[in-house]
Amino acid sequence: MFVDVKHLGALTRAVRNISRRKIRALLVIVALSFSLAIMISIPAGVVANQESTQNLAQRLNSTIIETEQQINQSTTLIECSTSSGSMFSGPPSDMSGLPPGMFDRPGSSFTREEFYMNESVVGAIGSIVGVKDVVPFLVKSSSESTQETIATPMGDFTVSRPLYTITGVCLNSSFIDEYYVLPTSITAGRNLREGDSGVLLMSLNLTEYYGVGVGSEVDVNGASFMVVGIYDQAGQNSMETRGVYMNLTDAQTTTDETGNVSRLDVYAENVSVVDTINTQIQTMYSNEINAREITVSTYVDRLANLQSQQTRYTELLNNTESTVAQTQSVATQEIIVALAATSLIVLFVMLYTVRERTKEIGTLKAIGFSSWSVMSQFMLEGVILSLAAGVVGIGIGIVGAPILSGVLLPAVNALGYRGTGFQTGAFGPATSLGSSTASAVVTPSIMLLALGAAVLLGALGSLYPAWRASRTRPAEAMRYE
Amino acid sequence: MSEAVNEAVLKTEKVTKVYTMGKREVRALSDLDLQVNKGEFVAIMGPSGSGKTTLLNVLGCLDKPTTGKVVLDGVDVSKLPERELYKIRRNKIGFIFQTFNLLPYLSACENVELPMETTKRPKNERRQRARELLKLVGLSGREEHRPQKLSAGEQQRVAIARAMANDPAIILADEPTGNLDTENKYEVVRLLANLNINRGTTIVIVSHDSQVASHTERMLLLRDGRIAKEKQGLHLVKKKLMCPYCGSKIQTNDERCPSCRKRL
Repeated sequence: MFVDVKHLGALTRAVRNISRRKIRALLVIVALSFSLAIMISIPAGVVANQESTQNLAQRLNSTIIETEQQINQSTTLIECSTSSGSMFSGPPSDMSGLPPGMFDRPGSSFTREEFYMNESVVGAIGSIVGVKDVVPFLVKSSSESTQETIATPMGDFTVSRPLYTITGVCLNSSFIDEYYVLPTSITAGRNLREGDSGVLLMSLNLTEYYGVGVGSEVDVNGASFMVVGIYDQAGQNSMETRGVYMNLTDAQTTTDETGNVSRLDVYAENVSVVDTINTQIQTMYSNEINAREITVSTYVDRLANLQSQQTRYTELLNNTESTVAQTQSVATQEIIVALAATSLIVLFVMLYTVRERTKEIGTLKAIGFSSWSVMSQFMLEGVILSLAAGVVGIGIGIVGAPILSGVLLPAVNALGYRGTGFQTGAFGPATSLGSSTASAVVTPSIMLLALGAAVLLGALGSLYPAWRASRTRPAEAMRYE
Repeated sequence: MSEAVNEAVLKTEKVTKVYTMGKREVRALSDLDLQVNKGEFVAIMGPSGSGKTTLLNVLGCLDKPTTGKVVLDGVDVSKLPERELYKIRRNKIGFIFQTFNLLPYLSACENVELPMETTKRPKNERRQRARELLKLVGLSGREEHRPQKLSAGEQQRVAIARAMANDPAIILADEPTGNLDTENKYEVVRLLANLNINRGTTIVIVSHDSQVASHTERMLLLRDGRIAKEKQGLHLVKKKLMCPYCGSKIQTNDERCPSCRKRL
């Protein structure tokens, strides 16, 4: 037998002694367990924070990589679009202070006049030397519209917004494979593919608005379409434009824009010819350009934008990392306080107990207990008390860790970055960086650690009182009444 | 009993104990010589402040003499360090206190087992011995009672059983009847006397109650830290089994003399 029989006796006495003063034991256990619960919640919170920061960092990293890819891809892209007569139209640099994504594409913004160009330009631009592909789009707002309140730093105002946007895409499989022409975030059904007709891809928010799903028949300007797939509009822009994607020809027919397109993505064969092509397009369509009907932009314009985005993500990443470091130092301080509180509570309670039981200690020594036996008796009591508190504390910790760690630790989110989706280009990967809500979970290893800490602190706190007890001279103890 | 009776169990030689109270020195014991032989039943009497309790503490290894020698069962305990003394207290001495000093959260049986706990005796043997001792002091059937469920007399009897647990060479009792009513007082004294007569246990009691002391063999009167007077008690007569009042024959456990009805 490994456990000495005499210690079993000491254990019984310790337990009986504690249970003799139930209210006191209860109060002490409650006090200790709270301090232990705090001790558990902090590492749980730190672990949770680290996990969520890792997620955040991962997402930021992948966003940075995606942005890089976009920068690379868009180097050969020349965008030609019909300009709009919207009241807010202006170069991107003037957009500061407005929600991002407000001016990204025709139709995705609010009330604006829409202009279209004839399909014949596709052929004309396509014949320019160095042009690899010309991908035509038709983007048109639905005739129905909704009233919506938009909050901006300039104040709230109500705007009339098209109910949805129809985007006609040239469903050429080589375009679909090579360029961002369709949304990538399909949540149900399938994406559009070459040869599709009479079918459409619908944004998640629009399916919710209509209450339809994959396979439903929907009516667009009097024509019937079947929903073959649903895409998540989140991350495409902050206004979360409701929209449908369909075959270009279908779009032209249903919107009464036969032969018209509103945007051309012109891809050069390589970066070196982009400027030449750009000049040629501008020359060919100088009249239209002067009339502000066609805007031509190359990667140079977008590059700056994308690069500033990339810088911002990198900053966010750094901020997040420094927040984690800060959290850890706060956590360390708080744990030290909790540790000190726990052992001090044990110290005071055990000192009181020893004082109260001087006569008992004297008796034990008189009937032949060694100093060590007396000391271990009181140590055992302290340890049992804090162990019981440890168990209760773990219970409290499991329930209260998320709240406690929320109160005790600074929340980790990329400072000031409040979960807005951001624009990575209309057809970019749908990535939304939210603030990470840390949910502290008490893991078995933390529980084990807490029990270990409880035993250790109980022993530490009762060390001095128990030593005092063991040093009591029996004759003096007997006189003590 | 043969004439090996004069074998000393406890002997003090010029024991002095000086307490320092602030700047004042109090001489509680001065050059005290005492001998208690094996199988004796001795009472130490004296007015308060005469050094009774101090002497008992010194005899019981609870306190060390300032000077002098205390020899217990052949061992000079006055020089032993604390780490040795506890073994002496455990194996050679049984203590009985005025306030019983039972552990309130332990049953009668567990209280009696307590001194055996730090010995090598196996648990079931300790329990069995505790039950036997409780039977000896007349508490069969009350083994599982907690002290607060027992009367004062019963509590003191549990304490006596506890004092006997490790078969000590000597039992030291500090005012064992001080907290008891008359009925219980005689019961406890009779119990101690019976243990002395029937089992040959050496007992030293401190008491200021002359009636209690008179039941012992020998009474020592302490005054100013010295033994001032020594006289024989009733017990000696009882050992010879005759009534001290009328001289008629008596039994060891008779409460009263069968012929003159006087309390023994």
